[in-house]
Amino acid sequence: MRSEDDSTTTNESTDAAGAPGSVDELIPDSGGSTDDRSDATVRSDGGTVDTDSPFETTSTVTETRGDRIDRFLEEYIRTPWSILRNDWRAMVGFAIVSFYIIVGTVGVYLVDSTYPAHGPQMVGAFENWDFPLGTTSAGRDVLAMTVHSTPSILIMMASGAVFTIVVGTFFGVVAGYKGGIVDTALSTITDVFINIPGLPLVIVLATLLEDWINNPVTLGVLLAVAAWAGLARAIRSQVLTIRNESFVESARAMDLSTRWILTKEILPHLMPYIVVNMVNAARTIIFAAVALYFLGVLPFSDANWGVMLNNAYHAGALYRPSAYHWLLTPMIAISGIAIGLILLAQSLDRVFNPRIRARHQDVGGDETLEPDAEDDTKEMMNV
Amino acid sequence: MTAFQSDATTRTNDDVIVELRDTSVEFGMDRGTSKVLNEVTTEVYRDEILGVIGESGSGKSMFASAMLDAVPEPGVTTGEVIYHPEEGDPISVTDLSKEELRQFRWEEVSMVFQGAMSSFNPVLPIKTHFVETLSAHDYDIRRGLTRAKELLSDLYLDPERMLNSYPHELSGGMKQRVLIALSLVLDPDLLVMDEPTAALDLLMQRSIVSLLEDIKEKHDLTIVFITHDLPLVADLADRLAVLYAFEFAELGPSERILEEPAHPYTRALLNATPNLSAPLEEMRPIAGESPDPVNIPEGCSYHPRCPLADEECETIDPGPYDAGPDHDVHCHHWEQSIEDLDIAFEETSDSGTTASAVEKASGDPLVSLSDVEVTFGSANDGWLDFGESETVTAVDGISLDIYDNDVVVLVGESGCGKTTLAKTAVGLQTPTGGTIEYRGRDIWEGASGSTLADKEIRRALQIVHQDPGASLNSHHRVRTILEQPLKRWHSDLDGNDRRERILGMLEYVGISPPQDYIDRYPHQLSGGEQQRIALIRSMLVNPDLILADEAVSALDVSLRVGMMDLMIELQDTFDTSFLFISHDLSNARYIAEKTGGRIGVMYLGELVEIGSAERIIHDPQHPYTKALRWATPELEVDQVAEESPMRSIDIPDPTNPPSGCRYHTRCPEAREVCATQTPEFVDLGDDVHAQKSACFRAYDDHEYWQSESITDEHADANVGTDTDTDSGVTSESD
Ligand code: SF4
Ligand code: SF4
Repeated sequence: MRSEDDSTTTNESTDAAGAPGSVDELIPDSGGSTDDRSDATVRSDGGTVDTDSPFETTSTVTETRGDRIDRFLEEYIRTPWSILRNDWRAMVGFAIVSFYIIVGTVGVYLVDSTYPAHGPQMVGAFENWDFPLGTTSAGRDVLAMTVHSTPSILIMMASGAVFTIVVGTFFGVVAGYKGGIVDTALSTITDVFINIPGLPLVIVLATLLEDWINNPVTLGVLLAVAAWAGLARAIRSQVLTIRNESFVESARAMDLSTRWILTKEILPHLMPYIVVNMVNAARTIIFAAVALYFLGVLPFSDANWGVMLNNAYHAGALYRPSAYHWLLTPMIAISGIAIGLILLAQSLDRVFNPRIRARHQDVGGDETLEPDAEDDTKEMMNV
Repeated sequence: MTAFQSDATTRTNDDVIVELRDTSVEFGMDRGTSKVLNEVTTEVYRDEILGVIGESGSGKSMFASAMLDAVPEPGVTTGEVIYHPEEGDPISVTDLSKEELRQFRWEEVSMVFQGAMSSFNPVLPIKTHFVETLSAHDYDIRRGLTRAKELLSDLYLDPERMLNSYPHELSGGMKQRVLIALSLVLDPDLLVMDEPTAALDLLMQRSIVSLLEDIKEKHDLTIVFITHDLPLVADLADRLAVLYAFEFAELGPSERILEEPAHPYTRALLNATPNLSAPLEEMRPIAGESPDPVNIPEGCSYHPRCPLADEECETIDPGPYDAGPDHDVHCHHWEQSIEDLDIAFEETSDSGTTASAVEKASGDPLVSLSDVEVTFGSANDGWLDFGESETVTAVDGISLDIYDNDVVVLVGESGCGKTTLAKTAVGLQTPTGGTIEYRGRDIWEGASGSTLADKEIRRALQIVHQDPGASLNSHHRVRTILEQPLKRWHSDLDGNDRRERILGMLEYVGISPPQDYIDRYPHQLSGGEQQRIALIRSMLVNPDLILADEAVSALDVSLRVGMMDLMIELQDTFDTSFLFISHDLSNARYIAEKTGGRIGVMYLGELVEIGSAERIIHDPQHPYTKALRWATPELEVDQVAEESPMRSIDIPDPTNPPSGCRYHTRCPEAREVCATQTPEFVDLGDDVHAQKSACFRAYDDHEYWQSESITDEHADANVGTDTDTDSGVTSESD
């Protein structure tokens, strides 16, 4: 009965009108329910419009699937793009992050992997174009090492960040909205995790799970294990406020599903916050991973940025100018992605702002008419 | 060319305290320049009270700011603003340096804003605020504080207690009065008040306004009182100025403006203002909307809405015409306007009610509340319980039946529990005692947490919130907002059907063309449109009872009657009952009288009087209802300035309500027995009108009549003057 296609609406309403518990309940009619059917028949013939009933106006425009797809594209692709296009931070952030992704996907095929004694020892950067970023004391190509550790680092970051926000948001939103016993249970779990000393736990787990730890996904999640709880708590307190907003109360009064209320009414208000946290989580994870590798706490099978730093350090790169490139390359790689992510996060919250979204679409209306004088004048009165 | 040349004989320049010459305020916006004040020329006379009336978006706040050259960035003020001090040369305010401006404000001209209630620093006691102000302006602190104390007690506040309190310990009304005192502490000559009472209750508004007159006399003040609420200033102001579309439409002595307004807008505004005496048929909204500041219509800015508009109006800006002594009007056809456009309030008639409230109150109730009690902050309500948690009984044992097709309007001051009671009635607030039945079924039966178990009951009880901006999710388009209830309750409709229903509904409530609106976000709609969307959203689920929580108070005066009419119309069409909440007796009267509904008056968690609109407005029995009646201003100039019928301005502390009749601390009729016994409802209704009152005075034969009066136990029995009893926060010791 649900035709999503461009069949004419009048036929649809015949079906609808015939069905029990149909829209006709909605049409108030002094004659009572027996009249409803005849009323509906008239209407299904198309166009007999009872002027008193607000439901009876027929629209000449029928929406097709094409329109719906178009609307979807507008909402999720074109509008965000049009917003981001005008924001240099977004463009730079995008460029940086895309660069890393390209390096991590395509780059690994373009740059051969390296091995000890691949080239001469300790070639400096930009000296030998076979090894543009130089080589290590073992003669390994720094560029190749950097490139080949990108995929695992990206995966680790992504899995950690996703884990943090998914678990954190879920715990926070559900606990905040549901309240009562659910809240108590979820909040207790959150509090337990908040108080877990993160780093020592990771170190212990890393030793226990030595076989797994080389999998970047496991490592990412492991590093995020203590991070999500803070987010959950912050989100919970925000949800507690939003829950009492009028629009949520209306939604509850209309008995919209809890899922709808959580994901569509509440979550959009948290999105800017969640995005910022996702980026922060990604950053924290990469820093933590690098630090742990550098300290040599994490077992590793292959070189990555952290391991490179460690090796460079042990090779005395801090005081040997000839080894600077070995130290600098991974450092720049790490800072680069961190900066890219921050820029992206800063610009993304514009995407979620309905005022800005509206301005990038061709629907009418504009900002509030009269500028709000109060705050500023108040300021002026305050000596 | 100035408006007042004609009056040169009656007014000398010495009388002018501030004059504005061609003053404009402009803001550059993406869409062009927005003129939020358009070449206004006017004068304010010394020692007068000038009432400035304007709807939101009429430029009234800009008028206030321009007078002090306090227009916020990036606004630009052009033209002249000249201040004439009592002695010395005129000062051009716009040319003052930053430092001079700082001195000028507060010492010469001071202002009180609506939002300024939050301008107290919460960690500093009130005294520090005074001291800081005094020292910043190099005033003698000790003398200043003496003056502050005097001001505070003039405003019926206990000076010692006020100065030592922190802002959060004061009620809104107290804070606003303290703010008035603070703004007067440097003895300015001119006080500009921009909606100073808008956030307050009617009773408090009225009390403050009636204090202003005395304050003005005592301190030689000139007051510019800016408000959207015409009746509020009607009897206070000496002259009234009506702002429309960033210009003055009309300016003249209050009697003239109220009794013989010449501008079509003023006449329409008077008709659109709900009040207690005008016949309902003559109240009507103003069609159309206020213009956009970027795009003010050519010629007379009112011409798109004006019934008298002709070609001349569309091209030529109407200059001020002299419509009598001191009375200027910006309309080409003002004489015709006086002749052809009626105004409603002139004659008072007792219009018949449509259906009697008694008739409606027959049969089985739709929703029946019995002995409902709601308590907040119970002792075991949280982890962080420090032992002395205070409980507030927001609703204390109220029984109320709402019938099919019924309308009940709850009125009362804020904090009286009207919203809590109403939310309990529609199942959005869990009661701590008593039962709520929907067609004989207990709505909380089998409910888990705060969700009703029976989904049909949930559907039947809906809500429309006070703030239309907050009741629509800012992240959803109109389409999504309206689609959801349809998806939930009419799953047999497909996307196109839903769209049609929505378009039809939008059109029905006057949002057209609906296709343009369906893809908008809430922030792209005006307040009235948002409220209509919220209203039809709740209508879409076909409810039996809708709670409308102050649903019109956020709207402009000229739109209120229209919105209420729409609700009444929808009620008729959909056979719903309405439970309205209003703090404003004129709105309550409009709705209740038009639908033959009842008005219920609440005080401190109790229902003190309920009855048909007719009776509550014209024959109130309970002393509190009488006080509310007093607080509702009329559109008349010289209403005899009656004394406040209350012994104190502030509401007692709800965590510790007075014993016996809760109103006895403020009731002018209170006697000893009132403090110990609680009055029950007495039915005073007859065949046509329902009326019940909870006051001993309703009994013919009651111990009350022999009891001693407790109103004059203080030496000065003057109404409201004893500063002890009006403290409000601390409950009374006697
Ligand atoms: S000038 Fe014309 S349009 Fe303007 S108010 Fe007068 S009659 Fe109406
Ligand atoms: S019972 Fe007494 S105190 Fe209460 S309202 Fe009546 S007269 Fe006033």
